[in-house]
Amino acid sequence: MAEAIQKKLQSELEKYQQMQKDVSKSMSARQKLEAQVTENNIVKEELDLLDTQNTVYKLIGPVLVKQDLEEAKATVAKRLEYINGEIQRYETLLKDMEKKSDQHREVLSSLQQEYQRAQGLAVGKV
Amino acid sequence: MAERNKRNIEVLQGVDRLRVEHKKVVKGCEVQIQHWEKVKGDYEALEDQLKTLPDEVSYDIMVPFGPLAFMPGKLVHTNEITVLLGDNWFAKCSAKQAQKLLEHRKKYVRSALDDLHKTTKNFEARVGFTEDLEKLSGAKGDYVDIREEVRSIEEFVSKGKQRVALKPHSKPKMEAIVKMEEEEGGEGDGGSRRGVLSEEELWARLDELEAKEKLEEEHDRHFGSADTNGNKDTTSSSSEEEKEGDGGGHHRVNGHDERSEGKMTVPHNSGQVNGTTRDREEEEDKGEEEEGNGLPTIYFSHTVEPKKVRINTGKNTMLKFSELKEQKQQAKRKKKNGTSNGHSHHGLHNITTPTDIYKLFVDVKNGEPIPRKSILKSRSRENSGCSDTSESSAADFEERRTFGRTLSHDENTCSDTSDGITEEDSPTGNPLHPIRRFEAFSCTVVEKEPIPSSIPHLTIAPPALPTIPERKLEEVAPEAPREAPKRVSKFKAARLQQK
Repeated sequence: MAEAIQKKLQSELEKYQQMQKDVSKSMSARQKLEAQVTENNIVKEELDLLDTQNTVYKLIGPVLVKQDLEEAKATVAKRLEYINGEIQRYETLLKDMEKKSDQHREVLSSLQQEYQRAQGLAVGKV
Repeated sequence: MAERNKRNIEVLQGVDRLRVEHKKVVKGCEVQIQHWEKVKGDYEALEDQLKTLPDEVSYDIMVPFGPLAFMPGKLVHTNEITVLLGDNWFAKCSAKQAQKLLEHRKKYVRSALDDLHKTTKNFEARVGFTEDLEKLSGAKGDYVDIREEVRSIEEFVSKGKQRVALKPHSKPKMEAIVKMEEEEGGEGDGGSRRGVLSEEELWARLDELEAKEKLEEEHDRHFGSADTNGNKDTTSSSSEEEKEGDGGGHHRVNGHDERSEGKMTVPHNSGQVNGTTRDREEEEDKGEEEEGNGLPTIYFSHTVEPKKVRINTGKNTMLKFSELKEQKQQAKRKKKNGTSNGHSHHGLHNITTPTDIYKLFVDVKNGEPIPRKSILKSRSRENSGCSDTSESSAADFEERRTFGRTLSHDENTCSDTSDGITEEDSPTGNPLHPIRRFEAFSCTVVEKEPIPSSIPHLTIAPPALPTIPERKLEEVAPEAPREAPKRVSKFKAARLQQK
């Protein structure tokens, strides 16, 4: 009995650890997105400060490509929207993951209790 | 104390950890602040550069050539500045435009720095609080823990209760009740616990029952009918008890125990108690009766009313079968146990003395279908009638009186046979039956008796008035010799029983 419980416990523990990793991954991704959002916001604002006389370049690999100011502004805006959407997605994902992890945690605790009880019984028997 | 210490230790540990965490956060914030300060410095330097750069058309500089070499060169187009906007976006702009961008960035940096400063301040404050908490828990510093135990409220509550309980008669009664319960053992405990629903209600009920009991006592003393009625009630109740409480169990409705015990205490208070358990039972029986009158569902374990029986036998001749039966049962119990506590058993079930057997088999022996007759009744009648009879029979009647008295008083009865006879006495008090009964005894008794004339008195006395037996004596006198042998035996039997 105790061994079976132990196995269960281990499997549950692994699952829980996996879940925790996923949660942390999504968390880090979200943080990245957050940084991008801020950056793009700054770019957008600075582009607004510029006028059409200035040429805008975009760095694609080792090449600086001339861009239209308007185009640049549009691109940046699109990027911004995209990033925001990604953030939203990641947020929902994170919530679900957290719920799952909580459930796993509960299961884990109950299993742990059972295991302790079984161990206690075994000790008593011995 | 150990627990407190443990708790303190735990608290201290927690507080310590909290403080450590707070300090970590503060450090992180400080690092970030440093970073941003550096950035800010850089931007300021750049600003200065931008300002001076367009002054000259070209500059001679040493251009860095890889990581290790420099090359002399010229810096041209001093007003054309390619600015990295962020996210791989570049913009070619003049120095002044660059400055604008710079300003914008600086603004951003400034805001970040402000946020960091705020967080550091918060966490520093938290650290300070945790340090204070540590001091509190550790009982260091100038902080003192003020604790006030809540005993005062309890005292107030108890005081309130005492105030409520301070009724004129309630407290002593309650105590007496408690004592009675203790004396009875576990009998009254369950009932009393159940009965302790509300003190006030119980006391009110007790008062009512006391009044009732007093009235009934007066009735008992002055009027025989009341006793008979009461006896009827007791008999009914006792019979009910016997039926229901055979195992010694007590049937109690809420609060009855206390009520009965209250009644029991009343005579105590009034000074009528003899101090015997019998009295308690009597009062309890009385309480039974009263309660039976008011609440038909009350049952008591105690059934005997020796007090009443005593009174009746002493004064009244209207003894009832049930009473005598109870009396005898009590007598048996007393002989056996020495206390009258406990459940009243049917005499049939308890066979500890020869008299019991005799009683059981009385009917069988004699072959008499008629139940026992009350010798006491006859005796009492004789006693009552003896006072008016002639001197010759006076001595006999005195003897009879003694017999009656001995018979009537359970404590004094020495022989069990007398009990059996008394038990067998029928409520009707038929004079003929005792004759037959004594006939049964006659076979064992042989005696020559100078008082055969008295026997007819015995036989005739019970049903008739005190004056009548005189006449009957005269009438029966001639018959005496015939019945002498029988009567002799009867008389002798009675004597023997008395002995």
